[in-house]
Parts: sequence; structure tokens; C-alpha cells
Amino acid sequence: MPTMKFYLGIWAGLVAATVMEVVTRSIPGAFAAISVIILLISSGKAVTIAMYFQHLRYENKSLALLPIAAVIGIIFLAIAAWMSM
Amino acid sequence: MTEQYEETEERKSTYAPFIIGAGLALLFFGLVVFVPLAIGGGAVVAAGLFMLFRDSVEEKFADLKETVGEKWPVDFLSKRKLGVWVFLMSEILIFGSLIVGYIFVRFSSGSWPVATQVHNVTLGMTNTIILLTSSLAIVFALVSIRSGNTRGLKIGLLGTFALGAAFLIIKLGFEWPAYYRNGFTISSGLPGSTYFVLTGLHAAHVAGGLVAVGYLIARTYQGGFTKDNHAAIENIGLYWHFVDIVWMFLFPLFYLI
Repeated sequence: MPTMKFYLGIWAGLVAATVMEVVTRSIPGAFAAISVIILLISSGKAVTIAMYFQHLRYENKSLALLPIAAVIGIIFLAIAAWMSM
Repeated sequence: MTEQYEETEERKSTYAPFIIGAGLALLFFGLVVFVPLAIGGGAVVAAGLFMLFRDSVEEKFADLKETVGEKWPVDFLSKRKLGVWVFLMSEILIFGSLIVGYIFVRFSSGSWPVATQVHNVTLGMTNTIILLTSSLAIVFALVSIRSGNTRGLKIGLLGTFALGAAFLIIKLGFEWPAYYRNGFTISSGLPGSTYFVLTGLHAAHVAGGLVAVGYLIARTYQGGFTKDNHAAIENIGLYWHFVDIVWMFLFPLFYLI
């Protein structure tokens, strides 16, 4: 397991990404483009938390199949919702 | 089969999961048809959780060597950790469905209020940083007990509890009342109902996490965790980080875009 100093670095990165999201919101530009950038940053934060705080990075790779299977289910739901619009 | 084994088998039984499940069913049924019924359901859930944690603190459960053979492709996991991840899969489906539903109604609606005119970005960002810090605190607890540092474990768990409570106080004590005063309520059409249902469900998960962390604190002060016996810290930590991950999506979706 990594050291506390390493985790502190991950936390600082996540806080910086949060500030970046708020700053991105105030940049003038197309709403869709700004929204996509913000959601990409959020997704990066979520993956970082799963990889390091939930230490998936250091587990057997098969474990990732469980959350990935659920996320694939949600992607199918999103596609179904999009197709019905 | 020895007498010792029979006794252990008997001691690990509990009705608590059934009581918690029945309480949750009553809670959600009550929320739909009759709110006092929901309060009763909440009380049943609390009683079930109390029973479960009391029995666990008193070490009434035995961790028998498992005899079930096939767990491919995750046969390297303990049954408890596998249980936590399967539970987290179901949680991904619950929150994922609601978030996809929110995005669907948001982008298929003709008009939607501007996020920053309705929501308090400063409070939202503060709560985001509080939750991230609480995740760091529970990681600190785990890193500490892995090196046998029980003082670090206590500080980490107490910090996690305090930060989780601070999140709820800001959300339910300041933010929601301010929205209600401004006329933005759960009855304010789709913007109101989606916001309060999603953030309310998330807050309920934070509250549930606080109960679990409270159990870890009680167990810690009874000397229940050691360098070689601390699986519960890791497993409840996995849940706590998941609650954090959900907020990483709710914050931008409601407060920023």
C-alpha cells in the first residue's frame, strides 16, 4: 500500500480538479463544450478515487470487472434513453 | 463435527439483515403512501442496524473458513470483500439510473433554470472538498492500522465521522432550507424533484455511512482492530469512497452545468 504522502498528493490533485471545474464554468464559451469539459474532469476524479482510494490499481485486475459490468449496464440504459428522445 | 464448531455455527446467526430489509421496504413504501409509516420504517432500520453492530462489537459472529468453491473470476477475494463489491455494483445501478434519468429529462426539457442562479456553488464546492477530505481521512485510518498505529486509526475515523457530519449539516441545515425559502422545493417541477431526490438519496447514503463509521469507532475503542485484523475498515472505506464518487458527478450536474 502506498504511503500517506502519496495519498495526500492524490487528495491535492482532486481538490485542484474541483477548483478547475468551477473555474471552467465561468469561462465564456459554448454551453455544450464547457459541460463536456466539466464532466470529463468529474469522470477523471471518479476514476482516480476508484483507482487509488479504493485501491483498484493495486488489486487483481479481475476485480474491476464488477464495477465495469455495472457501468456497462448504465451505458446501455443511457443509449436506450437517447434513442427514445 | 465437534461441539465447538456447532456452538460457533449457532453464534453467527442473526435476524438483523431481515429486519433491516423489512424496515427499508416499509420506509420506501411509507414515503410513497403515508409519511408516518416511513418514520416507523426508519426506526425499524435503525433497530436492525443497532442489533447487527451490537452483535458484531460483542464478537458474536465467527468468520468460518468458507466451503463454497467457485468464485471465478474473483476467487482471490474474501467473501466479505466480494459482498461489498457486489453491493457497490447494485449502488452503481441505482445512482447510474437516476443520473441518466436526470440527464434525459434535463436535455429533453424545453427550458431549465440556470444552475448558478438556483444553486449555491460555494456551498457545493465546500461540500465537495469536505467529502474528498473525509475519503483521505478514512484512507489515513487504514494506512495507520496496517502499520499497527491505533492512535492514527482513531484520528482517521473520528475525522471521517466529523467531516461526513459536516457535509450533512451544510446540506440539510443550510442549503436545503435556503432553497425552500427561495421557493425552490421538491414540488418545483422536474428541476426541483430531480435535485431533491438525487441529493436526498445521496445524503441518506452519507447518513448510512456515518452509522457504519460510528460502528468502526466503537469497535476501535474496544480494541477490535489490529495490524492483522482490520478488514472492516477497508470494506466500509470502499463504501465511503463510493459515496464520494457519486458526489463527484452530482456536484457538476446540478451546480455547474
